[in-house]
Amino acid sequence: MDTNKLIKISSITKKLLVALFGAFLLVFLLFHMCANLFILAKDGGEAYGAFTHFMGTNVIVKVLEVVLLGTFLLHICLSVYLWWQNRKNRPVRYHQTSRTKTAKGSKLAIISGSLLLVCLIFHFYDFYFVKLNFVEGTYMVKTEEFMNSEPDQEISEEARVAFMNLINDGKTSKDMQWIRQISAEDKAVLQEAFPKAEFEPDFYAMARQKFSIWHIVLGYLVFFLVVGLHIRHGFESAFQTFGLNHYKYSRLVEILGIIYCWVVCLGFAIVPIGVFFGL
Amino acid sequence: MNFTLHIWRQENAKAKGHFETYKVSDISPECSFLEMLDILNEQLINDHIAHPVCFDNDCREGICGMCGLYINGRPHGNDDGITTCQLHMRKFHDGDEIWIEPWRAKAFPIIRDLVVDRSAFDKIIQSGGYVSVTTGGVPDANAIPVPKRFADMAMDAAECIGCGACVAACKNASAMLFVGAKVAHLAMLPQGQVEANERVKKMVCKMDELGFGSCTNTYACEAECPKQIKRQNIARLNREWIKQLFAGNHKPEE
Repeated sequence: MDTNKLIKISSITKKLLVALFGAFLLVFLLFHMCANLFILAKDGGEAYGAFTHFMGTNVIVKVLEVVLLGTFLLHICLSVYLWWQNRKNRPVRYHQTSRTKTAKGSKLAIISGSLLLVCLIFHFYDFYFVKLNFVEGTYMVKTEEFMNSEPDQEISEEARVAFMNLINDGKTSKDMQWIRQISAEDKAVLQEAFPKAEFEPDFYAMARQKFSIWHIVLGYLVFFLVVGLHIRHGFESAFQTFGLNHYKYSRLVEILGIIYCWVVCLGFAIVPIGVFFGL
Repeated sequence: MNFTLHIWRQENAKAKGHFETYKVSDISPECSFLEMLDILNEQLINDHIAHPVCFDNDCREGICGMCGLYINGRPHGNDDGITTCQLHMRKFHDGDEIWIEPWRAKAFPIIRDLVVDRSAFDKIIQSGGYVSVTTGGVPDANAIPVPKRFADMAMDAAECIGCGACVAACKNASAMLFVGAKVAHLAMLPQGQVEANERVKKMVCKMDELGFGSCTNTYACEAECPKQIKRQNIARLNREWIKQLFAGNHKPEE
């Protein structure tokens, strides 16, 4: 037995990494939930727009975005790898199904995790892929982009009409700094006329629009339920894997885990429900 | 009481096994599970029906860790904190069908029928579950300079009899509770602390090498342990492992 190999990663270290990445995702989830609550503000997307603009342009955030995606990938890959390895450790299954009394959360973690991955793809399709220009959505742009940009050619009549329509429809923010809720068609026309204008996805408008459709709202509520199931296991489990089990504080961790789970799930759920019922 | 038994029969490690159905009748409710199997074996021998069913057993008073059967979906049967030999037929209903399987794990290959080879546990102990120097005879309990709480925790962990129910119950066939108990009880006493880093490294590596799974914090092991070893020992094992990751930087002995 060679216990001194550099590359050999023990089962416990792999589990530690899964827990570490999971813990990072738990922090992200809380942050995401808090940010979402701005969608409920009926300010035409003033606050949320400012937030998404910051998130879309800040360099540190962009680095963190890559870190986050990497964390997701590593958490998933390592978990699936461990699950696959673990399956092999009992080549002949029991005839009788287990009647041992255990919490279901951890047994179902791989299933809830897989469901989450499916939900996540839909979620990315709805929002994140718009940012990456994979799918079309609704956009917003700073008004000054049009003032400062000097078009190489005459502005086409089409673009002029599109621009005026946006202004006349009241799609500007109160201080006239932003034009919002630009449809994909308008964006294409305007982008051609003003090549330098930088359009950003208008997540506020997209969320408001999507959450007015009942089956999307229902889909997201199921999504949050699965998130809840997964983190209900994950929160406590991470502490155990880090070796943080204490005769006194473990009870506190358990309670914190339940509170965290409910706060995050309800915090997420209140946005589509609120938008759907016109809050 | 009368029972219908479905028992796993397998000639040897390589042979293909199958369930065989036997009926036993007039079993006393005071009879232990292994005594019931003894009665069945007597029948099988006297009536020239089949080779007797092989199963492990030794002390039959719940302290040696030899017996271990997977009965109706639970290691050591449907009761908490007991070994198979301490399970009594009064725990069943008259006319019950009872499914008896051996421990199933890659690291525990079947020898015959219900007997599995648990020497993997011995190999884990041999890899590091000891104190290398002579620490003298058994000292008086109050002569070891540790707080009573630690002595109690060490004693609770040391209760492990190595029956393998934790591995049998775990959906990943993980031996984390066993290794956790063995690492914990030595790490909490001064005699064992000196080699703690080295020990956890060797034992965990051996555990992985022998084909035990990793822990997914389901705690089926804790629920089925006849000595009710706590999950806290797995946390301690993880803690010792993290400590070792940062502290155990000296070259191990060849």
